[in-house]
Amino acid sequence: MTNKMTTTLSTLAAGTALCLTGVASAGIEDAKKLIEQYSQLPTFEAPGPAFDAKACMADKKMFVIPLTNANPFNAAISQGFVDAAEVVGFELRDWETQMDPAGWIQGVNTAVAEKFDLIDMQGGLPPEFMVPQITEARAAGLKVTATHNYDATTQSIPDFLDSAANTDYVTVGKIIAAWAIAKTEGKVNALVLGPDEITPTAPLRDAIMGYLKDNCPDCQSKYINVPVNDWATKTQPAVQNALLADPSINYVLPVYDSLSQFIVPAIQIAGSSAKIVSYNGTPFVLDMMRDGDIVEMNVGESLGWVGMAGTDANMRLLCGLEPVTKLNTPAYIFTDENVATAGNPATFNDGYGDVHIEGFKALWGIK
Amino acid sequence: MTDNPTPGNTAPSQAMQQYQARIEQLESKLSSFETSLGNQRVAPDWKTNAERYGLLIAWVLLILALGAFKPQQMFAWNSYATMFGSNAMIVALTLALLIPLTTGDFDLSVASVMGLSSMIIAVLNVKLGMAIPGAIVLAILAGCLVGAINAFFILYFGIHSLIVTLGTGYFINGVILWISDSNTIAGVSMGLIKAVILTRFFGIPVGFYYALLLTGIIWYVFQYTSLGRRLLFVGRGREVARLSGVNVTRMRVGAMVSAGAIAAIAGVLYTGMRGTADPSSALAFLLPAFAAAFLGSTTIYPGRFNAPGAFVAVFFLSTGIMGLNFLGVDSFVQNLFYGGGLVIAVSISQLIRGRKPMD
Repeated sequence: MTNKMTTTLSTLAAGTALCLTGVASAGIEDAKKLIEQYSQLPTFEAPGPAFDAKACMADKKMFVIPLTNANPFNAAISQGFVDAAEVVGFELRDWETQMDPAGWIQGVNTAVAEKFDLIDMQGGLPPEFMVPQITEARAAGLKVTATHNYDATTQSIPDFLDSAANTDYVTVGKIIAAWAIAKTEGKVNALVLGPDEITPTAPLRDAIMGYLKDNCPDCQSKYINVPVNDWATKTQPAVQNALLADPSINYVLPVYDSLSQFIVPAIQIAGSSAKIVSYNGTPFVLDMMRDGDIVEMNVGESLGWVGMAGTDANMRLLCGLEPVTKLNTPAYIFTDENVATAGNPATFNDGYGDVHIEGFKALWGIK
Repeated sequence: MTDNPTPGNTAPSQAMQQYQARIEQLESKLSSFETSLGNQRVAPDWKTNAERYGLLIAWVLLILALGAFKPQQMFAWNSYATMFGSNAMIVALTLALLIPLTTGDFDLSVASVMGLSSMIIAVLNVKLGMAIPGAIVLAILAGCLVGAINAFFILYFGIHSLIVTLGTGYFINGVILWISDSNTIAGVSMGLIKAVILTRFFGIPVGFYYALLLTGIIWYVFQYTSLGRRLLFVGRGREVARLSGVNVTRMRVGAMVSAGAIAAIAGVLYTGMRGTADPSSALAFLLPAFAAAFLGSTTIYPGRFNAPGAFVAVFFLSTGIMGLNFLGVDSFVQNLFYGGGLVIAVSISQLIRGRKPMD
């Protein structure tokens, strides 16, 4: 009897272990497939049907307010908008701001006073901060939208906006987690960091940690909130102390790659061999990848493409076409192998190819 | 003690003698003050010692208290080696603040100077290909220049140092954005990174020893040179110092220029630690530096801004933050720690000064 029970228990245990191993290896295979998919050069997929952009934008003008012009990320997106407006041939104003709500408000008021047709708050400017001004602008007949702020799948566009062109942050988060799983063969101990007050942090963070949990039974992760204003003072001690408390951490995954500048010294001082994998394709981080060994992979997206895709969505809104709420800008993986294509020093637009320029031109009926 | 000089306005030589006598009188007052302190050292009363070493005792107690919860990390040498190495630039920035504070001036531009120095090194080294030593010299000269500009506006126009340095700090932030084209610049020569964090003694990155050396130099100047005494004297009462023959203007200019130079050194350490320079992050270190300077003034030489006190204060605050990190406490606690630390430190300083209203 006892022997029988022992045999049954052993069989059950072996079965469970086999099952878990199966889950783990399936997770690793899925992770590798995802990495393979996003390591390919981006291809252009039209966000909607073609239309005559020149004709519909002939009497319309667009006003873009970036989070701050002092941030090269926002400046690069704005440049994409400016380039697109030049291609189509309509008036576009890129408003100068320095991360100040007074400047944002002044921008909205100027757009209303000068009778623009659409205001776009791009690259993380939180529309929630400007509800009274947005309401006033909409009452005056302007359309108000936001580009590259909300997540395309987990966040909804607020009622006080006419529309928004959103980013697929969830896929980006999955790619980051998949990379760590694939590289460690399912043995990830990750430290995830991000500023909770920024809109895309939640979908990125949840996608990274959720993917690890769902696809990797032997993986673990811990999250630290580092508000943007405290990046310089808190990131390094927080990462350093986390690495000291748990030396088995093998990946540090900041949701925005600009945090890497504070994480690299923490890893060096703590004597850890952890690697950094992150998102944004920020040029100086790609430079750090090229020149060192700590930044291992970065998920980037062409910001010129983001600007053109945002312009496309806005034109459709102004022209009364079927709305587009998801940017068609694909994520793309940079590693040591292809980082040279991003330029030296790297830029926000190099390395992704330029299929989007011809793609959008064809879509807008421009030769 | 010398006798009071007889007042008179006769021959120049007599006036000179009177002047000399007054200087001697002040020197002797200072030395009697020191002697009285020295006597207290010989026969220490518990209150003085508690003041002098209170922060050191609190530091040990803090380690023990946090160690009770996380002994593996709090009692590991590696934790302290790591912490010592990563705070070198905060020590340097605190020391930069301390000199004008001693002469009674506030320099709110030190963090901006640290950022400017960091960016100058990155731009010169990465963008223009200049070797690190030359870039460091130019960065320190830029720090001196900012100090001299601050001093000019404070002394020539008679504007409060808070207003001038608030303005120049903001101005410098614009200059940093301008010279960097608003970009973070990576790829600073590995030589600098090796010279700051990758070389270690006793497991501690070498940057810590630079900060220690700087602390030692400033401590020596204030404690054992007449220059240090004069700086202190200017801070205690400008008019009295002036009437006593101390060149107050020169002392204050010197203090502001030194603050600029040392803040620039903090920028060198900051760049060496990261290998990158960004346009804005250095500004976040102003409050931690103020907190450490004021907390430091309550210990070692209580009631006086002093280098060893500031040194201890930086690591006391960092130990607290490290322990809270180990305990998994949310990061907002760091704000409570630094902000609360500053207010408590100033309150203790005021108690030591007999709650005399601050200027």
